[in-house]
This record gives sequence, structure tokens and C-alpha cells, in this order.
Amino acid sequence: MSALMQVEGVHRAFSVSRGLFARKRTLHAVNGIDLEIEKGEVLGIVGESGCGKSTLARILLGLIPASAGRIALSGTDLRGLDRRVLAARVQPVFQDPYGSLNPRKRIASIVALPLAVHGMGDRTEQRRRAIEMLERVGLPARLADNYPGQLSGGQRQRVAIARALVMRPEIVICDEPTSALDVSVQSQILNLLMDLRQEFGLTYVFISHNLAVVEHIATRVAVMYLGRVVELAPAAEIFARPRHPYTQALLASVLTPEPGKGLPDTHLGLAFPDPLDPPPGCGFNPRCAYARAVCRERVPAFSEDGPAKAACHAYDPTFGKEFA
Amino acid sequence: MSALLSVEGLTVDLAVPAGTLHAVRDVSFEVARGETLCVVGESGCGKSMTALALMGLLPRNARRRARRLVFDGVDLAAASPARTNALRGAKLSMIFQEPMTALNPAYTIGNQLCEVYRRHKGGSRAAARERAAFLLGKVGIAAAGERLGQYPHQLSGGLRQRVMIAMALMCGPSLIVADEPTTALDVTIQAQILKLLKDLQAEFGMALVLITHDLGVVARIADRVAVMYAGEVVERGTAAQVFAAPRHPYTAGLIDCIPVPGRTKPGERLGAIPGTVPALVGTIEGCAFRQRCAFAQPACASAPPVHADAGHEWACVRGAA
Repeated sequence: MSALMQVEGVHRAFSVSRGLFARKRTLHAVNGIDLEIEKGEVLGIVGESGCGKSTLARILLGLIPASAGRIALSGTDLRGLDRRVLAARVQPVFQDPYGSLNPRKRIASIVALPLAVHGMGDRTEQRRRAIEMLERVGLPARLADNYPGQLSGGQRQRVAIARALVMRPEIVICDEPTSALDVSVQSQILNLLMDLRQEFGLTYVFISHNLAVVEHIATRVAVMYLGRVVELAPAAEIFARPRHPYTQALLASVLTPEPGKGLPDTHLGLAFPDPLDPPPGCGFNPRCAYARAVCRERVPAFSEDGPAKAACHAYDPTFGKEFA
Repeated sequence: MSALLSVEGLTVDLAVPAGTLHAVRDVSFEVARGETLCVVGESGCGKSMTALALMGLLPRNARRRARRLVFDGVDLAAASPARTNALRGAKLSMIFQEPMTALNPAYTIGNQLCEVYRRHKGGSRAAARERAAFLLGKVGIAAAGERLGQYPHQLSGGLRQRVMIAMALMCGPSLIVADEPTTALDVTIQAQILKLLKDLQAEFGMALVLITHDLGVVARIADRVAVMYAGEVVERGTAAQVFAAPRHPYTAGLIDCIPVPGRTKPGERLGAIPGTVPALVGTIEGCAFRQRCAFAQPACASAPPVHADAGHEWACVRGAA
């Protein structure tokens, strides 16, 4: 089966100023990522702030180019693809429903904008389709002529979803779509995203820092740390048996509403990762309880372990013995 | 033993262009010495206003009233601003959500830590620095002497929140009010910071009022819980009571909304609370949750009775199950 989207060795570096007179530094936000996104799956991408997950989202959307590597959509390189062709097939839903909607436009025209850009139908037709999609995402047609400022956070996120779906894309990149919402609203939006996936046969890339949410919605999960994917596995597998020590810590840190369980000890120490100054070897080694000499020297490659892949020397046939 | 903090009938009204916003409506709770009370609710439920009302830090357009607001034998409702100032930062301290905005970017960590101490306890600069270095060590910051000379922007978010905690501890408070202390932090850092708070609490014997929207945090850290909705406490009890047998439909609905690995089945629909929070401007009658409640009945249009069962209380027409 060929993948809907292929990501091969993608890098993205930014030049970062650290003050007026200081030398510019290079930040490797995304540092060599290989992924295949299969049709119909929900690929969850988890990681903490600064791990490069949002940069990856913007690269997949074609909003920023990769510094190196190749991304292909059904086999066609993104660089050779017209911006509008790409936008018709890959659409975003962003975290902040306050910042991602134009406050001076009415809801219906926000949702109809992609249709207008692609010259699909006349104005009446565009408006009709926009309202149809608004109703599909659970917004009454009477809100069509309101402004975003008159809507609640959850309603705005529904508008963002309607705008993403109005062109009937194949892939929707959701970047922390529920992180700014209250829990009762979050569950409404998650239910909606799951329904829409069924109805329109969508493929999602679902980016979140919330592991419990990703477990609920994803079929496959990629865990990112300092610009790299450190573990890739089917969702059920990653939660049943996390391989990478970082995945284990992340999973231990999920505070489920179970009183009496107390607070977990993550064994992580205080070495907070600095993306501008990543440690040599495995990026996680300063916080890792199992780190050995090899972890400080070599960047681990992916090792397969059952259905999962982990970038950790402990699973490497050559170095694994040291961890026994 | 009498409670450290006793709040009865706390009300906060805000003057807004549209009229009067009833942010906190007749809220009552008690906090015993050394205990952790979590106030949980969604945005706009009045939990932060409750925290600010306790601290005497409400915005100017707010008016606070209470039948009783007593902290450690001092009547806060009647206390002069000078008396409140003397308590705040000393016996009663606060940790805010965003350590970057709560710390002054123009002063070093050491400066800010020492200022609190010298203002309340006096003494020499050296004594204050010694206390600051001691507490930075306690909150897990290595090379404390060096850190004292650094500015907030030189620290990561997790370290800044540790500094905030050290600052709250400077004068040996008996109560810390923490408003969403870990919401701005990464999940792994959140677990570390909460554990640190809990350990320090055990070591120094302070009480903690923790304001949060995160039921997971509540379940893991609270001794007792107060659930707020639309400015009111709708349910309170021990963490075990509230999570094992939530009695108010809002609490039960909220718990059903969150995916829990191992309990909710992946891909299945999550529980949802239909509708949105009512506006709190103008007069509010009856149960504020009734428009969203699956169990609503005509009686809900008048103020719901409060039921109690072994310290577990809830305000709903539906009594014991």
C-alpha cells in the first residue's frame, strides 16, 4: 500500500537571534523526520513544547518549506505542487480559535473563503455550501452572519473545522485543536472530529501534548523529542508497552482522575531540553535514568521491536547489551 | 480544631458595561491546617475570582462581600488594607499561573526573593539571601547561589515556577493559594512541580488551596474538592467521594468528558455536556445548570436544596442516590 503522504529525511532550521550583538544561532526545529501517513489513519504526534511538532505541521501544510528532505503527496513532490492544489487536499485546524479566524469577516464568508479562492461556484453557491458545512459541524445557520467575536471558543473551533472541510480535503492537520478549550467543550470537538472522519473518510494528523486525548483519537502515534521522532507505534501498542524512556515518562505524567494514585515520579531530573543547544548523542540523555556512555556519543537510530520502532540504544542489537 | 481558613457566603460582583456580573455567588468552604483543597471548574466559573478575593487582590471594578472570611483568627472581611498587606506574602501567599508575567523581568531572582522576606521579616540582606538560597535548594534548583543573580528570562518555564514556589515559601506561610500553577507547563514538568508542591507541603505543614480546571490534577493532589459552576460551589467533599460517586450532574458530566487511558475505549464517543455556560450578568434564579442538565425538572427553577452525606455536599434537587 502506498502512503498518502510521505515524509523523508525532513529538516527545518531557523536562524535565531539571541540579542543585538550576539551571534545568530541555528535552531534545528525539525531534525530528520521520516514518516508515512496512510490513507484513513489518525496519526497522533505527541511531544512537549519546543519538540518541533508545530513546525512539522506547518511543513506538511506547505506553509513553510523544509530546509532539506522531501515530502510527497500521493507520490508528487510538494515543491512541484501548486499552492492551491495542495490547499485543496491538505487543510489545517489550529489551536487558537481566536487567532485563526479573521475578526472582521462574517462566519459564512470565513467558511466560504477557500471556495472563493478556488473559484468554485458563484457567491450564492459558495454561501450555500458554507452554511451546509456549518450545520454539519453543529452550528445553526442563524450564526452565519455573526462575527467570530460573538462566538464562544468551542463555536469558533467548529467554524475553523467547517472552513477546513468545505473543500473536502483528504488530510486534515489538527495542531492542538482542543488545547485552548474547556474539558466539556474539548469532548464535543473530539466527538465531532471522530464523526467527520467517518463521514468524509478523512485522514488526520493530530498533534497534541495531551497523551490521553491522543490515545483516544489516534490509530498510530509518533512521539517527538527535540526535533526527532523517538518512537513510532500503533496507538494501542504505545500505551500498553511504551519503549522509549521518554515515552514512558510522558505516559507516567498523564494525571488520570483516579484519586488515591498520588503523583507519579517521572525520574526525569531538572535538565530541561534547550532546542538551541541540544546535547550530543541522544537528545534525551541528560534526563534519562538509563543513559549509558553510548547515549552521550551517538544519535540512536530506529530499532524495531515488535510492531513498534524506538530510537533508543537500549533496543539496538549492537548496544542493547549494555542496558541489560 | 478550628479551620485555618473559613469562608462563608463569599460573593464577588463585577461592574461591567452590561450591568453587574455575579462572578462568585455565595461560596462557602473551609480549609484545615496542612490540608489541600482543590477548587475545580471551567473558565468563567469564578474559581480565579475566588482566589483573588481570598488574597484581597480583586480588580478595581470588583466588590467583595462575605458573611465570614476568617484566616488564622484574622477577619479578612474587616481587615484594613495595611493589615491585609502584612498578611499577604507572609502568612498567606500566592502562586500564579504564568511565572513569566508574575516575576518582574527587570530584577534578578535573588532580588525578588529577598524583597519579600525583608519587607515582612526585616533583617539583613545576607540573612534574606541565605534564606533564598536555602529555599531554591528545597525546590530542587542546583547552584542556587548562581541562580540568585540571574533574571527570569534566563530560566525555563519549569524553573521559573520553582522560583515562584520558593518565593511563596520565603516567609513560612500557613496557606498558599495556587491558581493553575502548572497549566502553562509541559506535562512531564507539571508532574514534577505538583510532586514538589506536595512534598514541600508535607515538610513545612502548609495548607494549599489549588485552583485548577484539570480533574486529573485534582484527583491526584486534593484532600478535599469544591466543584464550581457559574459562580457557585455545586458540590464538595473528599477527593474519594467526589470522584467515586459524583452527586451533582455537572460533576458527573465533567468526569465523563475526559478520556482516560485504560478506562475510556479509544475511538468511542466521549461524554459531553450540551449547551454553554449561562451569562452571569443580571439576576440568576434557580439552578444555573438546569438548561444543560439531563435531569432538569420544574423544581430546578428555584434555588436547589443542599444535601449532605458524611461530609459530601451537593446542591441539587436530586437527593441521595
